[in-house]
Amino acid sequence: MATRTASPPASASRSAARTVGGIPPWASLGVLFGVTSALSILAFGPIGVSGTYPRAIGSVARAIAPGWAANEGYLVKMGSVVTPESLLVVGLLLGGFLARRLGHQPRPVAAEVVHAVERTPGRRYLTAFLGGFLILFGARLAGGCTSGHIISGITQLAASSFIFAAAVFGAGILTAKLIRPRA
Amino acid sequence: MTLFYGLLVGVAMGAFIQRVGASSPAMILENLRLKDLSVIKFMATTIAVGSILAYLLAAGGAPMHFDIKPTYVIGVALGGLVFGVGFALGGYCPGTCVVGIGEGRKDAWAAIAGGVAGAFVFTLLWPVLEPALIKPFNYGKVTVPQLLGASPVVAAAVLAAVFLTIVTLLPTRPGEAPRG
Repeated sequence: MATRTASPPASASRSAARTVGGIPPWASLGVLFGVTSALSILAFGPIGVSGTYPRAIGSVARAIAPGWAANEGYLVKMGSVVTPESLLVVGLLLGGFLARRLGHQPRPVAAEVVHAVERTPGRRYLTAFLGGFLILFGARLAGGCTSGHIISGITQLAASSFIFAAAVFGAGILTAKLIRPRA
Repeated sequence: MTLFYGLLVGVAMGAFIQRVGASSPAMILENLRLKDLSVIKFMATTIAVGSILAYLLAAGGAPMHFDIKPTYVIGVALGGLVFGVGFALGGYCPGTCVVGIGEGRKDAWAAIAGGVAGAFVFTLLWPVLEPALIKPFNYGKVTVPQLLGASPVVAAAVLAAVFLTIVTLLPTRPGEAPRG
């Protein structure tokens, strides 16, 4: 009888969490996140992140240039930064820190190279900056990001969020296939 | 009190994102290149579980704070396309870069700086963009079950069944031979 030599797949080290009892991390973490997202709607509202960026800009602007801030329609529309959503963003910072520390994981690479064009750390910072610019511009135009539109939006079965998700993955997959990956 | 709930939800969410590897730009690119589908499967599982649970809670009479985003077709689709390009370029989304800073990624600071710049430019362009891309073809806060005339719980159950079937059947790393 042939015995299979169980060598761990290369992907085992990729994901931070280990497979427990045959259940892959994406499944157990997905169930936990799903319960969290439903409880968030019960407690205060759907999870969301990208609206905090203009709200933070608005709060800084009201402190240093109140006249200008009062006339920027979008900052007025987005309102105060004192919302559960802003605290959620603070929580993301803490959650990322704690999950790595309590998991006794090594510090991640400071600037992970993902594209062939990122030959120097400076180039990696530039693509990260440009990527950050486009995701926030796009998210604010659409009214939400991966969390607010895709996760919370489809969870609530919003028609707009299905359109957003299709556009994000369509453009994202195409762009990722077109840009040469790191060697 | 709701501020405190926001903090708790954020800590949990940040930990899940870090653990599944979604705060790693390399992992995001593996998913967008369809070489490793674990983050996409994580998101689909989250949506399936969250949707059925949220609409069951609502059907049971829980005071849910649903907040449906309006369907302004042009702005939503264009915003999604711009977002998708940025997602593939930087490997971060607006939340995962915050998690990335928490776990010590330096390039995540560049992504946040870019994000603040993007939100600032959007603010400046708002008077032009709103009438052109957001006001026209705006069908308001509409859900798929409303469009179909279906019960939200039934629609959530169908969505959950479809998503969970797909994530179960799809291999996590499609390029590799399936394991026993």
